[in-house]
Amino acid sequence: MSVHALHKIQPARDSASRLDVVPNLVRDLSGITHLLTCGSVDDGKSTLIGRMLWDASDLYEDQRENVRKSGRKAAGTDLPDFSMLLDGLVAEREQGITIDIAWKYFDSPTRRFVIIDSPGHEQYTRNMASGASHADVAIVLVDARSGVKKQTKRHTAILDLVGVKHVILAVNKMDLVGWSEDVFRKIEADFRTLSWKFNFWDATAIPLSAVFGDNVTAPSSNMAWYTGPTLIQHLEKTPSRASEAGAVFRFPVQTILRDGQDFRGIAGTVSSGSVKVGDELVDALSNASGRVVRIATMDGDLESAAAGQAVALQLDVDIDVSRGAVLSTREMLPVAAQTVEARFVWLSEDAYSPTAGYLLRTSTDLIPVSNIEIKALLDLETMASRPARSCGANDIAIAKISLGRAAAIDVFTETPGTGTLLLVDSVTGATMAGGIATSVNAKAEEPAEGHFVLKRDVLANGLNRDLSMNSKDREEFMRRANEVAIILRAAGVAVAIEPPPPLDDGMDPGL
Amino acid sequence: MTAAPSHLDLLEAESIHIFREAAAQFRKPVMLYSIGKDSTVLLHLARKAFFPQPVPFPLLHVDTTWKFRDMIAFRDRTARELGLDLIVYTNVDGIKRGINPIDHAPSIHTDVLKTQALKQALDKYGFDAAFGGARRDEEASRAKERIFSFRAAGHRWDPRKQRPEMWNLLNGRLGTGESVRVFPMSNWTEKDVWRYILREKLEVVPLYFAAERPTIVRDGQILMQDDERLQPRAGEKVEMRKIRFRTLGDYPLTAAVESEADTIEAVVAETLNAQTSERQGRLIDHDQAGAMEKKKQEGYF
Repeated sequence: MSVHALHKIQPARDSASRLDVVPNLVRDLSGITHLLTCGSVDDGKSTLIGRMLWDASDLYEDQRENVRKSGRKAAGTDLPDFSMLLDGLVAEREQGITIDIAWKYFDSPTRRFVIIDSPGHEQYTRNMASGASHADVAIVLVDARSGVKKQTKRHTAILDLVGVKHVILAVNKMDLVGWSEDVFRKIEADFRTLSWKFNFWDATAIPLSAVFGDNVTAPSSNMAWYTGPTLIQHLEKTPSRASEAGAVFRFPVQTILRDGQDFRGIAGTVSSGSVKVGDELVDALSNASGRVVRIATMDGDLESAAAGQAVALQLDVDIDVSRGAVLSTREMLPVAAQTVEARFVWLSEDAYSPTAGYLLRTSTDLIPVSNIEIKALLDLETMASRPARSCGANDIAIAKISLGRAAAIDVFTETPGTGTLLLVDSVTGATMAGGIATSVNAKAEEPAEGHFVLKRDVLANGLNRDLSMNSKDREEFMRRANEVAIILRAAGVAVAIEPPPPLDDGMDPGL
Repeated sequence: MTAAPSHLDLLEAESIHIFREAAAQFRKPVMLYSIGKDSTVLLHLARKAFFPQPVPFPLLHVDTTWKFRDMIAFRDRTARELGLDLIVYTNVDGIKRGINPIDHAPSIHTDVLKTQALKQALDKYGFDAAFGGARRDEEASRAKERIFSFRAAGHRWDPRKQRPEMWNLLNGRLGTGESVRVFPMSNWTEKDVWRYILREKLEVVPLYFAAERPTIVRDGQILMQDDERLQPRAGEKVEMRKIRFRTLGDYPLTAAVESEADTIEAVVAETLNAQTSERQGRLIDHDQAGAMEKKKQEGYF
C-alpha cells in the first residue's frame, strides 16, 4: 500500500461542501449531559455503553477498526463486542471487570454526552457514589430475566443520596425473554414502587437489547408494543443539574484577584442562583456586606452571572472575605454552622478512627473537625438505619460533626452546591469520605463524655496568652487548639475542644 | 435573560474553577507548557482564570532539544508578548550521554529527555503542583484519570492511591512527599480544543497548517526534516510534500499527514471529519500494549 493511501486524511464524506459545513460543525453544542451508568457485571453495562458509542456517536474510524479487528464477539452472538470501547486500565482488562470510574465523551447532533461508567460490584459502592455525584442522569441497568434486585435498590439509593434527579431503568436483554411485554411491565411496576421512595423528579423504564441495539438509538421492531422514547431520545431531553441548581444565590469564594491598582476581585463560581450589578451581598460568617459594582471576566464585564459561571466580583467596599467564605443575599443566608449532621459514603480503605485528626472540606473551605460522632449506618436495601459507632469502606454513615470554627454550609437537599462535604485526613490529606449536609446548626455541641476536653481558659492562659481578642487572633486561637487536638489524637487520646460561646450578632463574642 | 451556556462555555468555566482551586491550595504551582494546541488553550484558560492579575505561576517547558524550530520560536514569542515567566529545562546529562530519538528507541529517548527531565525540573524548583493539558479522551488509561492526580515521593503514579473526586470539590491537601498533577482540561475533547481555538481566535504554531515541507518517509510514516540531524537512510530520499501535523512533539517522532488544510477553518473542518484519533501520529504510543499506562506509572506526564 502506498504511503499516500495510509496518510492522506480521508476527505469528508461530502467533500464538495466540506468548508461550507464548518460553521455548522463548530457551532457550540447546546449543553452537556453527564450520564452515569450503573448495574451488575452481568447486566451488560459495558455492552450498552459500547452500543451507544457505536450507534450514536462520532467515533473515529480507527477506534471502530480496533473493535472489528479484535474478532471478539458479544457472548452468544456473532456481533462485535462493543464493550471493548470501554475497557481501560491494563489490570482491569486482565481481570475482566471494571473497578474504577471511566469517562467517555460523545456528541449527538445537539448535545455533548459525558458517560461516567461506574463499577457494579457491591464492594465498589464508593466508586459508584463518586461517579454519581457528577451525574445529571443515571441509567440503572437490569437484566430482563432477573428484574429489580437488591443491587438495583442499592444503586437507586446511592443516586438519591448524591443528588441525581433523573433516573432511567434500562431493562436489558429483552431478546432473552422473547421481547415479552408482560416481563417488562412487571419490572417497570417494581421500579415505580421503588423510585417513589426517593426524591427523583423523573424515573422512566425502557425495554432494550444492548447487543442487538433495540431501543438504544433506533426504535425496536421486535417490541412494537413499546411506544415510548428510545434511550438516546430520552437522554437528549434530560436537563442538566446546573440548570436546576435552584434560585438561592451562593458564591463560594475561591481566591482574591488584584490588578496591582484598585481592583480587588472576589473570584469564584456561582454555585446557585444569580447575581447582578447593584446587588447587596453578605458574608454569612462575618456579616460584612457590600454592593456589586463590577462582574469581571477577561472577555469584558458582565451585567449578571448565573449558576456555573466563573467570574470575579468587585464590591463597593473592601470587606474582609477570603477563600472559604460564601457570599449570598441577606434574605437567604447559609448557616454559620458549628455542627453538621451529614450522610457520608466512606471512601477510604482505612476505617473511621476516633483518634485520627480530620478536616471538613466544603465548597471552598477547609475546617478543623473537633469531634465526629458516628450515629448509625444506613442499609441501602431497606433504607433502615441501625445504630453504629464506627464505619469503613463502602458504608453509608449518619454522623454528627462538630467543627473547630464556624463554616458556611447549606442543607444539601435545599441548596446542593453548598451542601456537599468531604472528610479529609489531616495528616495524609487523603479523602476519607464524601457526603451531604442533612442539617446544620449554628450552636456548638457540648463535648461527648469520655473525651479529654481542651478547656478554652486553659488554652487562653498558656499556649495562647500572646493572642488578643481580635478576629485574626481568634482564628489563630482555634488553629492552635486544633493542632494540639490533632497531635493528641495521633497519640491515641480521644480529645474534644471546648466549644466557643454562641456568637451574638455584631457583639464581640470573647473567648 | 441570557441564553443558556453552550458546552464550550461550560467547559471553560469548569477549567477556570479548577485553575483557581489549585492556585489557592498549592504552595508552588507551575504550568507545564508544551507549545502545542492543548498548551495554547490551557494558557488561555489560565489567563482567564486570574484576569486581571497576571498568571500567578511560571510556565515550564521541558526541552528535549528535538522540538521543531517553529515550536521554539512560537514559545519564545508567546512568553515575550504575554509577559510570562518561562522556565526552559533540558536534561543536560542525557544530552551529554548522546541520547537521541533517531538512534535510540522512542521509549528510551522519552524516558531520559522527557520523563527524567520533568522530574529533575520539578525537584529542582520544588514545585508541588504542575498543571498539564491532558484530556480524558486521549487514551484509554487516561479515561480514568482524576483532575487532581496525586504522585507519591519520586513522582510515582499509583492507580490505587488516587483520591475519589465528588461533585466539584477538589481536595488539594498533600501528604508528606506528595505532589500533584492538575488537569484543568480533563473533560475537553480534541474537537473542543479546535472549536475553542477557532472561537477565541487563538494563534497556534504554523506547523498545524498545511505547507510544502521537506519530508522523509520512514517505516510507513511521513517525517519532516526540520534540520540536518535527520538524514535519509539508504533507499530514502528527501521530498517536498504538502503536510501538516495533528499533534506536535519531537520532530523525528512526530508523523505528519498530507493535507491541503492551510487555514484554521480548514484544519477544524478536517479534524471534525477525521477518521483517526490524534494519537495515531505519536510514535511513542505504539511501543507496547498499555504503553501510556506504563509510562504514567513511571512518571511520564
